[in-house]
Amino acid sequence: MASRGGFLSTSVGTKLLIGVTGFLLFLYLLIHIGGNALIFFGPAVFNNYAYVMEQKNPLLPLIELALLAVFLIHAFKTVRMFLANQSARPVPYAMKKPAGTPSRKTLASSTMIVSGLWLLVFLIIHVKAFRFGPEYDWPAGGRDLYRQEMENLSNPLMVLFYILSMTVVGSHLFHGIASAVQSLGLDHPKWTPRLLFAGKVFAVIIAVGFMIIAAWVYLNQPGAGRVRV
Amino acid sequence: MNLKLRIWRQAGPAAAGRLVEYAADHVSPDMSFLEMLDVVNEGLTKKGEEAIAFDSDCREGICGTCSLVINGVPHGPDRGTTACQLHMRRFKDGDSVTIEPWRAAAFPVVKDLIVDRSAFDRIIAAGGYVSVNCGGAPDGNAIPIPKDVADLAMDSAACIGCGACVAACKNASAHLFMSAKISQFALLPQGHPERHRRVTAMIAQADGEGFGSCSNEGECQAVCPKEIPISNIARMTREYVKAALLAK
Amino acid sequence: MTLDAQIPGGAIAEKWDRHKFEMKLVNPANKRKYTIIVVGTGLAGASAAASLGELGYNVLNFCIQDSPRRAHSIAAQGGINAAKNYQNDGDSVYRLFYDTVKGGDYRSREANVYRLAQLSVNIIDQCVAQGVPFAREYGGLLDNRSFGGAQVSRTFYARGQTGQQLLLGAYQSLMRQVHEKSVKLFARREMLDLVVVDGKARGIIARNLSTGEIERYAGDAVVLATGGYGTVYYLSTNALNSNVTAAWRAHKRGALFANPCFTQIHPTCIPVSGDHQSKLTLMSESLRNDGRVWVPKQKGDKRRPDQIPEDERDYYLERKYPSFGNLVPRDVASRNAKQAADEGRGVGESGLAVYLDFKDAINRLGVDVIKEKYGNLFQMYQKITDEDAYKVPMRIYPAIHYTMGGLWVDYNLMSTVPGLHVLGEANFSDHGANRLGASALMQGLADGYFVIPYTIGHYLASVTLPKVTTDHAAFKDASENVQGRITKLLSVKGNRGIREIHRELGRIMWDDVGMARTDASLRRALQAIPKLRDEFWQSVSVPGTPDNLNQSLEYAGRVADYLEFAELLALDALERRESCGGHFREESQTPEGEALRDDANFTYAAAWEFTGVGTKPTVHKEPLTFEEVHPTQRSYK
Repeated sequence: MASRGGFLSTSVGTKLLIGVTGFLLFLYLLIHIGGNALIFFGPAVFNNYAYVMEQKNPLLPLIELALLAVFLIHAFKTVRMFLANQSARPVPYAMKKPAGTPSRKTLASSTMIVSGLWLLVFLIIHVKAFRFGPEYDWPAGGRDLYRQEMENLSNPLMVLFYILSMTVVGSHLFHGIASAVQSLGLDHPKWTPRLLFAGKVFAVIIAVGFMIIAAWVYLNQPGAGRVRV
Repeated sequence: MNLKLRIWRQAGPAAAGRLVEYAADHVSPDMSFLEMLDVVNEGLTKKGEEAIAFDSDCREGICGTCSLVINGVPHGPDRGTTACQLHMRRFKDGDSVTIEPWRAAAFPVVKDLIVDRSAFDRIIAAGGYVSVNCGGAPDGNAIPIPKDVADLAMDSAACIGCGACVAACKNASAHLFMSAKISQFALLPQGHPERHRRVTAMIAQADGEGFGSCSNEGECQAVCPKEIPISNIARMTREYVKAALLAK
Repeated sequence: MTLDAQIPGGAIAEKWDRHKFEMKLVNPANKRKYTIIVVGTGLAGASAAASLGELGYNVLNFCIQDSPRRAHSIAAQGGINAAKNYQNDGDSVYRLFYDTVKGGDYRSREANVYRLAQLSVNIIDQCVAQGVPFAREYGGLLDNRSFGGAQVSRTFYARGQTGQQLLLGAYQSLMRQVHEKSVKLFARREMLDLVVVDGKARGIIARNLSTGEIERYAGDAVVLATGGYGTVYYLSTNALNSNVTAAWRAHKRGALFANPCFTQIHPTCIPVSGDHQSKLTLMSESLRNDGRVWVPKQKGDKRRPDQIPEDERDYYLERKYPSFGNLVPRDVASRNAKQAADEGRGVGESGLAVYLDFKDAINRLGVDVIKEKYGNLFQMYQKITDEDAYKVPMRIYPAIHYTMGGLWVDYNLMSTVPGLHVLGEANFSDHGANRLGASALMQGLADGYFVIPYTIGHYLASVTLPKVTTDHAAFKDASENVQGRITKLLSVKGNRGIREIHRELGRIMWDDVGMARTDASLRRALQAIPKLRDEFWQSVSVPGTPDNLNQSLEYAGRVADYLEFAELLALDALERRESCGGHFREESQTPEGEALRDDANFTYAAAWEFTGVGTKPTVHKEPLTFEEVHPTQRSYK
């Protein structure tokens, strides 16, 4: 049987776990960007969405916990795997070059651990600011998340950090989505190439989408003239 | 043409190694890469200096013995070839060529460019076979196997066990090697009775040998002299999941 | 010494069954008490070690490679014959037997060949059960092709990698036994001596190639499956590490060496490109199905092939052998290529090549069909020569490919040293003077899977074997002998490269003991070889130390043995004053220039006894009788 830790502790099991959690995080990002995009429709729509999600959803604490667990497992497993992989090649090459097609190696794939750790830091800042930041009441019920977002992204340095982090998200997903597909053992001569391409498209959509939102928020601070997108 | 070589020299498993420069002069473009090294070695031998140790045997790309990382790529720049099939016409006068051994904790250096790949044998010993004793086999045509299945199994079975996949992988993972054998037996009906035991045992063995995990970069499939694709690794994952879910 | 081949009585078809019954058995509970040393992990060695392990013997298995999976059987491309008659085209055990005896030019042992044909059927079943991915038809049944001019389709194959797949099947069975602990594997070990105690083979001395240590291993029987001696010619299609050393050291300990002059030359190899060349690459013979062989009619014609008009080309095989044309057997095709080159009509820079032209086939069938059939071969050719064979004709030339001679064995595969068994290419028994295509894999696996498991039991049950440990004087003596030779090699400290001397030996062998041999050329070789041997021992440079991985030392030891063995090969060729199979004596030919056998005087296997280096060995003759297949002269006109 598999080694002591059981099914998910082997190299293949680890990969599966990282793939599944990564894929779930990707799905979460899809929902997240959909919700955030409502900001373009003004405070009423945006805050109402937040109100429904937060107040009318008894499962929210469970979902939050699950999301946290998924994220932590993903982070913990990858870091541990990264460290183990380092000891698999104790003596480095004096010269090492990418092998070219059909390798899927890219800058993105080579920096997963860096982009991942960056995102860990980003998320701590991000969650602190939005989940645990100052709260304002919205007269129609719930928080005034719109105002919170406006305030959080009023600082140009913060906006820059956000935009940079979204590039990192894009990079992480650029390899990550395709990688998850492979990690889950999905493979078909016709569908796999399409799936891999779709993954890259999604990576770009998510990264660029969030960037646009951040930029839009910065450029549409209350008091400033509204900029149309 | 004349070349400048930088070659890894290491006296023994415990000794420290280093890159040493050699000149390869009057190299003919028709020479194979290993013949170029033969000529350098013959020069060294005549001078009473120790020859550069490197592994090779069949010199036609099937035995899987040769194992050189040439200018940063296992088996060198050509696709679908072993180092022994690489020819010097691929290089030009004045080129500098760095030659290193496979590098992996599970492939310790024995001497110079020679590594110990017995970990691969132990992975096969863990389950890379069909347990049939000699003698009791049914007629060869007793179980028909669709041609496309047999062909796909042959694609996987073409692995020569050279270890280039491990050498190229940033994690020194043996997943492509293992998955090729697991795929062959997952595809063929003869492999089915033991499929669950096989996949778990082989993965456990590879992990225990100190090979790394897989990051799905696919450098392995790009350097594989038999161009074995990572779809085998996906198949291995499916086999593994099935084994875990269906094991009693 | 009289050679007793131990051939069982009865009709040819019943001999093996009868023998199986008559042989003694080892009690299953006692098997683990016997230690069997198997040297080599090719088809014969791996299959023997695996099967003996399965039976419960305690097996020690050795190979010089870093892994048993790399033995040279891996390089066999074509296929494996079996008398399955799946194609319903009239094949049978008897027909395969008949073809093999005839193909061996009536210099093999009928009883052995019949058994081989019988067992061929079981081999396929065994390999399929192991998961060997043989080629299949759309209906899911095994596919066959016709190979090497056979009239029936009996060759099973796995793309162009049949040897690889069969070897991996055997290797996997072997690794299973290693896992079960019935086989202990010793990789990177080179057998350097046979230990004989009280007249019986009881162990080996091996050098650990990683550490340089000289190790002693004791057992109750020794099985040699160490392959052929093709690299005595320096350039051959054999792997670089293939060598005669294990067999030669066994020969020096009393095992007779039979028919060393029977070597096979393969007609379709990629020609030599220069002095640096380390080996030759074979291209499947199947190319001759569609390629046309030609040379210019005019001597020294250096025009590009496309500038030589049709009427100035000599399609010599089609001209001389109208019924077989380009598909004549290997030896005939090879000899004619050499003849063309000798006449100064060879092509390419060296003049040591002939054209194999696909232009007509491409015009007739279309480039796609040719690509489908031979794409991988054309690709391989391009990799090596940088030429596109779809546009310019291939250049091909013969090269040493297989050696039919080997240590003499009886029907039980036992040599003249009791307890020493020899399997596969290392023995001499089944192919006579010429091996048919797709028969080598068959023989290796038959010996290992289906013969030795029975016959070694019979041996063990028939003799009393007092316990012998590696402290025995014979082990001490043998390991000192090995040490002494290593010290001697390292102490010459001359200035000649080992490869250089090997290359020179190869040139002597190729020129004078090659495709066509004459009394004069053989005598010339017999003068040159000892001279080169003396030079080797005076001027070779073997750098490095003995207590470490030292490839120069390994290589020097093998070349030193070749320098002794080559003389035996040439002598055997000299004494066989007939043309047969792979051995063509120019003095013995028909008026049309074809090989002429001399059955009256040479229907025997010549088994040579070692009498010392440089002294003439003694020949013992095993007469061959042909009760089933009556000798006829081959004709391919």
